[in-house]
Amino acid sequence: MKEFQPIAARPAPIKTVGFTAWLRDNLFSTIPNAVVTLSVIALLAYYLPLIFDWAFWSANFTGTTEDACVKEGACWVFINAWSYQFFYGTYPVEEVWRINLTLVLLVMVIAASFTLPKSIRLKASITSWLLLPVVGIAILDGRLLGLEVVSTDLWGGFTLNVFMAAASIIVAFPFSFLWALGRRSEMPFIRSVSVIFIEFFRGVPVLSLFFMGSVMLPLFFAEGTNVDKLIRVWLVLIFFMSGYMAEVFRGGFQAVPSGQYEAADSIGLSYWQKILLIILPQVIKVSMPNILATFVMLFKNTTFLLIIGIPEVVQTLQTALSNSYWLGGHALEGYLFVFLVFWGSCFSMSVLARRIERQMNTDKRD
Amino acid sequence: MFKQKTIEEVKSASRKSSSGTTSNAFYNNPRIRGFFYQIALIAGLLYFFGTIIGNTLANMEATGIKTGFDFLGAAAGYDVLMSLISFESTDTYGRIFVVGFLNTLLVSAIGIFFATLLGFVFGVAHFSHNWLIRKVALVYVEIFRNVPLLLQVFFWYFAVLSSLPGARQSLSLGEAVFLNVRGLYMPKLIGGDLSSLVWIALGAAVAGIFVLRRWAKKRQELTGQQFPVLKTSIAMVILFPLIVAALTGFPFTVEYPALKGFNYFGGITVIPELMSLAIALSVYTGAFIAEAVRAGVQSIPHGQTEAARSIGLRENKIMSLIIVPQAMRVIVPLLNSEYQSLVKNSTLAAAVGYPDLFNVFVGTALNQTGQAIETIFMTIIVYFVVNMVISFLMNRFNNAVALVSR
Amino acid sequence: MAKKALLTASILAATMTAGAVQAATLDDVKSRGTLTCGVSTGLAGFSQKDENGKWSGLDVDMCRAVAAAVLGDSEAVQYKPLTAKERFTALASGEIDMLSRNTTWTHTRDTSLGINFAGTNYYDGASFMVMKDLGVSSATQLDGANACIQAGTSTELAIADYFRENGMSYKAVTFDTSDQTRQGFESGRCDFLTSDGSQLAALRIGLANPGNAVILPEVISKEPLGPVVRQGDDQWFNIVKWSLNAMIEAEEQKVTSANASDMKANGNPANKRLLGSEGELGGNLGLSADWAYNIITQVGNYSESFERNVGMDSPLKLARGINASWRDGGILYAPAMR
Repeated sequence: MKEFQPIAARPAPIKTVGFTAWLRDNLFSTIPNAVVTLSVIALLAYYLPLIFDWAFWSANFTGTTEDACVKEGACWVFINAWSYQFFYGTYPVEEVWRINLTLVLLVMVIAASFTLPKSIRLKASITSWLLLPVVGIAILDGRLLGLEVVSTDLWGGFTLNVFMAAASIIVAFPFSFLWALGRRSEMPFIRSVSVIFIEFFRGVPVLSLFFMGSVMLPLFFAEGTNVDKLIRVWLVLIFFMSGYMAEVFRGGFQAVPSGQYEAADSIGLSYWQKILLIILPQVIKVSMPNILATFVMLFKNTTFLLIIGIPEVVQTLQTALSNSYWLGGHALEGYLFVFLVFWGSCFSMSVLARRIERQMNTDKRD
Repeated sequence: MFKQKTIEEVKSASRKSSSGTTSNAFYNNPRIRGFFYQIALIAGLLYFFGTIIGNTLANMEATGIKTGFDFLGAAAGYDVLMSLISFESTDTYGRIFVVGFLNTLLVSAIGIFFATLLGFVFGVAHFSHNWLIRKVALVYVEIFRNVPLLLQVFFWYFAVLSSLPGARQSLSLGEAVFLNVRGLYMPKLIGGDLSSLVWIALGAAVAGIFVLRRWAKKRQELTGQQFPVLKTSIAMVILFPLIVAALTGFPFTVEYPALKGFNYFGGITVIPELMSLAIALSVYTGAFIAEAVRAGVQSIPHGQTEAARSIGLRENKIMSLIIVPQAMRVIVPLLNSEYQSLVKNSTLAAAVGYPDLFNVFVGTALNQTGQAIETIFMTIIVYFVVNMVISFLMNRFNNAVALVSR
Repeated sequence: MAKKALLTASILAATMTAGAVQAATLDDVKSRGTLTCGVSTGLAGFSQKDENGKWSGLDVDMCRAVAAAVLGDSEAVQYKPLTAKERFTALASGEIDMLSRNTTWTHTRDTSLGINFAGTNYYDGASFMVMKDLGVSSATQLDGANACIQAGTSTELAIADYFRENGMSYKAVTFDTSDQTRQGFESGRCDFLTSDGSQLAALRIGLANPGNAVILPEVISKEPLGPVVRQGDDQWFNIVKWSLNAMIEAEEQKVTSANASDMKANGNPANKRLLGSEGELGGNLGLSADWAYNIITQVGNYSESFERNVGMDSPLKLARGINASWRDGGILYAPAMR
């Protein structure tokens, strides 16, 4: 009788769950993958301590003058001393609540356009959007409200970047809508004018438009008139943005099914009734992610204003760097700070854009 | 509330049209209306431009600013850092314009090439199986897309390239290629008498590739057999000129860069200004292209991948043969606008002093001559035309990749 | 659709804040109550903003002096930071009343841009700075070297001339701001840095190790820097010109912000004429009699302004050099104040 012979023990099956399995699947699946993973880890292990040491352990945090920076690492005192100007420019300290108020209004209007009850949302938010630049400028300038007048050469810093971008895109909104309509128009002359306008402002570098605003526009106005530089640049930005946004809206118009137009025609709506009541709400809705993307682009482009000497945040930084009491070379700290501020705001906006996009996609499925 | 209003307005609108009498009046005729709208627009535009031109002329008259294009023939009096054609400080502003234009084309071409490369690599990497690669692609896109290009140009120039070693401590590769803070120095081929034959051979090889591709495609359609087009093409491009060069006895001399006095001289020099601008443009635009590629790939139904797997294609072949060609329909229109914004963004050369058109012309020439209108308009027109050309070419390309219905 | 054009036009019209450029800049400034003065966006010692947003510098003091003379208040100035490119347009369009932005007085600018130079408040000249370890002691040894230059300055032209004249070659690496020029020099992108002498001093301080760099003895160009006004308003031109001269004259007469009140009452006839207790100098300019008194008490004489902003009391520590009064061997010389 044969003796019982157990089959030799087989190795345990490779785990497909758990931490090690995840590591094997995702980081060490092949030899090149493993090499990549290990070298990334090695680089991080080498550089992270150095960066942390510079930015935190041996950095200088307290003090108000350059002399306070005695340690080897970063001189955050520089950022601290200039932080007011980086955010608000040279706007008077006792009036700075006006900038903050305008920022709060901006945030409120943004929030309102997403949270108001649907029945009044469109009208309320469009009205508040269109009123916002007027109210904002009235508050910041102060002339109309009987506040102390703060002239535009005192405006500056990061908030100027925000306001320039926001004010241009909002004012450009109705114009771009008209240009987009003009481009779809059946009247040949209106169509070609619209096409030329849109393509011109999309086809030339924004930097050259800024130069036009700073050195060419003063020659265009009647002798004896002079228009504030910030307003000239704002004007140019509005033109620029209405070209861009017109293309965004054109895409929006194309996305609205032609049945909507036909249905509106069949119940006897006039042209403007059809456009404003039926088409526009749908166009704005489908264009929302693109509008946000355009805004982020414009916002980043406001740093170009430095080339024409507008005291936005990078310009303020360069002014600070050339001050004879701060000559010790704080460029790295300064640029890092500006980088973080911009990255933070642009990244959160692109996350927002993506969320809206997702929301719209689910809407469609309903 | 919104809907009710609509209905009310609908009613009032229909009431108006049913009451009838006014609707036949001439001003309700859409064609006549359109005609008057257009007349009004023309009049408005004429008035607008008339005022501007009138004001400008009056202003220039009053302040005594010179006008006209005479300055183009005048000697510039300053030097340009880099020029593809010969340039001396005694040359004219007109020549500076050409120098700047060529430099702009150069940096744009380099930028477009590498941005496309980066964009496709990172866009496809988003779908990789390696967690680390996926995350790297994500971090790349989210960082470089969301930071102003100006800061990125500064970063590459002042932080990265400035930390390279000085001229006398250059990094070198076989005493032929040198890299230091002043740029990348490479050997240059200088052609002798028969060198043109080698270039002709190269041209013939390139032409041959096109013929080969056509033939291979036709054969595959007819017989199903594949031909290794890529390998053959590479072999042709390398071997053809090499054989001709060997036959003609290598009619080239190589000029190596060498340290003389303060700098390396000879060979080809890539200045750090060009490098940093090209890197910044490629990396920035590459991040946008990566997003476009991702969107394009995501627009392809998953069934395509499954179908490809089921007929036994390998993963990398699925991407390159099935997914990407279909995704191109979504990607190409986006590429078009990314390329155009890259060309426009190249004006940031002023930030690091790369002598592109904008920098040498709207920058220095405008400053020296004070003729704002002439210089700015000449420059704007160039960018406009370049973008029109890109748009034209990309539209042609778009038609080529568009869905062909059989 | 025609509304579009109308809207655009009306927007344009609405934004034209009427601020008329008349011949009489003086009346304009008086009715506005402030002087608008074009300055640099940031130039160590000449026009710089501190962390509280307060402007100071030698060029800024020129603005303050004119404001003190015209309005009696040196703080009644609205500073417009301008880039090199837009400065003349800003002046021509009436955006600013005067330009005090380290602008070199050249023939071309004076004759073809519709502007007038009202004098020189700093005699500068382009020089070279090199690293010590390069072993260069004279600019003539710089053949084939790379130059770091700030873009859009007249230095760019001066250096081209200098190297051509001496049969040498160079490569110009241009930067947008002076801070970047310094970084470029420090990283070794170029062998030497060229700029106006006053700026070289500021740039040298900014180096991680200022002791490693030397400024070469050669001065290769004349860069007389001064305030600029529009052509066609002679009264205003005179006011700016004599505001500068009053500061220079005050130093010659040893009138300072501290002793001005005393001198006004008890000084010699020249002091009294300058400070307005005798004579008609202010009235001839269309200003009050104490115009120069206001300048000197509020801004100081030239020497005070110099030492405070760029001289020994400042981080720049520039020597007076040729910018000393003619009595001390310099070339500053005010026409007779009588």
